[in-house]
Amino acid sequence: MITVQDLHKTYGDRSVLSAVNLCFPSGQLTSLVGPNGAGKTTLLMMLARLLKPTRGDIRLDGSQVTRIPISEYAKQVATLRQTPEFNLRLTVEELVAFGRFPYSRGTLTRHDHRVIDDALSFLSLTTLRGAYLHELSGGQRQMAFLAMTIAQQTDYLLLDEPLNNLDIKHAVQIMQALRRLCDEHGRTVILVVHDINFAANYSDYIVAMKDGAVHCDGNVSDVITERRLSELYGLKFDIAHNERGYLCNYFKPSGNLE
Amino acid sequence: MTIKASHTVWAAVIALALAFVFVRSGFDFEYVIPKRLERLATMVIGGICVAWSAITFQSLTGNRILTPAIMGYEAVYLLFQTLLMLMLGTHSLMVLGEHGNAALSILLMLGYSWTLHRWLFRDDRDNVYFLLLVGLVLTMVITTFTQFVQLKMSPGEFSILMGYSQATFGNANATQLLYATLIVATICLVGLKSLPMLDVLLLGREQAISLGIDYRRCVQRQLFLIAALVAVSTSLLGPTAFMGIFVANTAYALAGTYRHRVTLPLGCAIAIALFILAQLLVEHLFNYTTTVGILVNLVCGAYFLSLMVRKRGAA
Repeated sequence: MITVQDLHKTYGDRSVLSAVNLCFPSGQLTSLVGPNGAGKTTLLMMLARLLKPTRGDIRLDGSQVTRIPISEYAKQVATLRQTPEFNLRLTVEELVAFGRFPYSRGTLTRHDHRVIDDALSFLSLTTLRGAYLHELSGGQRQMAFLAMTIAQQTDYLLLDEPLNNLDIKHAVQIMQALRRLCDEHGRTVILVVHDINFAANYSDYIVAMKDGAVHCDGNVSDVITERRLSELYGLKFDIAHNERGYLCNYFKPSGNLE
Repeated sequence: MTIKASHTVWAAVIALALAFVFVRSGFDFEYVIPKRLERLATMVIGGICVAWSAITFQSLTGNRILTPAIMGYEAVYLLFQTLLMLMLGTHSLMVLGEHGNAALSILLMLGYSWTLHRWLFRDDRDNVYFLLLVGLVLTMVITTFTQFVQLKMSPGEFSILMGYSQATFGNANATQLLYATLIVATICLVGLKSLPMLDVLLLGREQAISLGIDYRRCVQRQLFLIAALVAVSTSLLGPTAFMGIFVANTAYALAGTYRHRVTLPLGCAIAIALFILAQLLVEHLFNYTTTVGILVNLVCGAYFLSLMVRKRGAA
């Protein structure tokens, strides 16, 4: 379990995150939601150790993450930022093979190849394994990067806006894959997501952030309420809830926005 | 393809080396051939330095149009040579002795890079672009200052100095070569272990950290190795400036893979082959009327262009 205690991040005088206390439930899918500039990505980057907290504690299964060597951390926590740009000619399979680096340090064993095959077939990428990344569509590329993260075989997955720039079908595919990672493989997934409807329908736990602090957190039914979401985004929400899930409608607010 | 390409290049290196040593030598084992072997060794060491430092530097910065020259190592070397010439005049050649200049140059360049890296990595910063920016600014400042100092010189001193600012293979002697070989061999042995890490660095800082690389330490260590390689090659053959760009990009195009295990040795072979070819042309065809640097850039540039045209996208 990842816990966060009294976490602060400041740049000079400007505070971007203050006094965050959280506990991310294991084996569940947690979404970080909230307006731009709320500190969601900052929090996720600190969990990933890509950013140092100004103050506070992050613990992984009880031990401070700063005490864990980064090479060991990579066997427990995998991070995927918004699909990075690089000018490399890589095939999908070569990219996914990078996920084995924490274990193999560059020399793939037979076991590594099996894990790579599993990750590819988990996301139905087997037919694309020889394709070059730059020849793929945005959705397929995102899938390939996710496969690399899965091949890292970590208990925790941190994803920064994995649905960015994806069409609705690819977005649904990614969210379903993440759901299966939790349900079938017992992994813990924490992601930053902007589409409140995806968060409402696929999460177990939701952390809503605003102005560098936790606005509210809890199970989906606690957070996805008209009052809370209105406070969070400053928009009017109509929420319909039936057996197929939630539908948060905020598209045409009456009156002017503040 | 990969294996074939690297075999072809290495075969070319051997053929060129044999040609370089024996063509029109009159099989004079007393003078001509030993001298040629010295130049050959300079080219081999220089080639390894140029290719290795350029490819590693490009991987660290994620940029294929850079060489370590942008960090100002060579500018420091030229400033040092200029100041020496200004203060001691042509006597500087005597005062420092045969090896003094080379040893001092190496130490100075290493000192410069060490200070620069210490200062740049002093706090939370591990932004490579900031490093490049500072390097570029320093290069320009040092170069301008060097040019300013050169105005104070006599034409005779200036023409000697010009010799230092272009790559040549004829200046090194056996002792220097021995030390250079030892340094470069050590660096390569240390560097070999980190080749898979360099592969991961190609994915960028964040992905590299996520895959368990201690990014800052890794970058610092690689930058130090690069500085040492550049220092050795600059003291042996003078500034090579942007030769590394052609060498590295030709290696990527021929290798057809991102793996440093393939691209680095291939790059070294390409650099050595190029140097020998250029030197052969300078010695036998142009009769020393042109410089190696110009020929290397011409040959490599033309070859790289033809590669790009033939396999569009591969390069």
